[in-house]
Amino acid sequence: MYTQFLGNYLLQRGIINQQQLFDALGRISQSKLKLGTLAINEGLMTAREVDECLFVQTREDRRFGEIAIERGYLTKEQVEDMMHTQTPDFVLLCQIFVEDGVFSYEDFERIIFDYKNEAELSDFSLDTENQAVIKKLIEKFFWVSETQKDDRNSMYIELLFNSLIRFVDENFTPLTPMVIDEFPVTFGVTQRLISKGTYDTHIECDRETAMAFASKYAKEEFSEFNEYVVAAMEDFLNLLNGLYVVNVSNQFSVDIELEPPAVITDVTLKPQNKLIDLPIVYSFGTIHIIISY
Amino acid sequence: MDLTNIKVLVCDDSVLARKQLIDAVSECGDGAIFVEAKNGAEAVELYKENKPDIVFMDIVMPEKDGTEALEEIKSIDSDALIIVVSSVGTQSQLKKAIQLGAKDFIQKPFEKSQIKEIFELRFGGN
Repeated sequence: MYTQFLGNYLLQRGIINQQQLFDALGRISQSKLKLGTLAINEGLMTAREVDECLFVQTREDRRFGEIAIERGYLTKEQVEDMMHTQTPDFVLLCQIFVEDGVFSYEDFERIIFDYKNEAELSDFSLDTENQAVIKKLIEKFFWVSETQKDDRNSMYIELLFNSLIRFVDENFTPLTPMVIDEFPVTFGVTQRLISKGTYDTHIECDRETAMAFASKYAKEEFSEFNEYVVAAMEDFLNLLNGLYVVNVSNQFSVDIELEPPAVITDVTLKPQNKLIDLPIVYSFGTIHIIISY
Repeated sequence: MDLTNIKVLVCDDSVLARKQLIDAVSECGDGAIFVEAKNGAEAVELYKENKPDIVFMDIVMPEKDGTEALEEIKSIDSDALIIVVSSVGTQSQLKKAIQLGAKDFIQKPFEKSQIKEIFELRFGGN
């Protein structure tokens, strides 16, 4: 999930813009990690050393690893180890930005350092996903300051991200949630959760985005906006809320009633008390998760 | 697998979920007859009319939910073979579905292999 968080971090800091993010997300599945990127991430080489080896590579037809070993920056064992290391996808995302000239290897080195510091992750490794790290990142970057910080809200966001990764496509970036006064909807789906209060959850997007989203969720290609596309959007929302209901029941012994999902068209969503918009940026478009409570 | 004349009632308010279930069953074998219901009330009526061999039942549905429909169908036919297919699977809901006589529970989104297992177990010797 770190890739998604890092995209948000880069946007928030103005290091990248949304178009650059769109482009990078669209290419991430076809891109391959380079040894130099890995070496910086592992702290084995500095950005300057990587740049130096890349420069040599442009003049001599040799592999990056050979050059780095010859110059004493890496050992043969380190090169072999890196080939077999599982590296988080956010490193790949950063590499695409370097390739696109959005930032340099030197910036990449600093960004990872700042990111860990700001998220207070210095004690954690980012190489394998860790529940405590994810919770911390959600609270750090996806918390709406006007809302109450509680484990159930945090759980909902985590389940949303996990469900998108598992059932739709992992190459997305969640933008920072915002409290809004109203949200005009042309097409969307909605589902109500009832416990002590009512929570109205919605997914809004344009029809083209809905078709792409539904195709990925249903694992079949929809080339027109039809009843299956609508059903896929409803099914995803129902799935997400279903998972939430089960988790809340298991962890907090609280029962939540779930109403059937429904379609909404040409309405303006208003808050019961608050209205929160959590935009999710995919390369094929943006979906808005909107919660009113 | 030969599913000739095996009647399958698929009850889900999602047209996509019904299609995916029908596709999954069709991959298990040929000859099944499908009946579709989009809510619990329709499922009860279609059960009476068709006496299906197996029912796939969603839980969260408009008009009459899956649990109520399950209870009614069981009161009409205590031998009804009903499989609950839902994204909501709290312990209490599972317990309730089993108490009401559901034979199995499949968490959505399901894998085709889960449907195949059920058909092999129930109709493998057909």
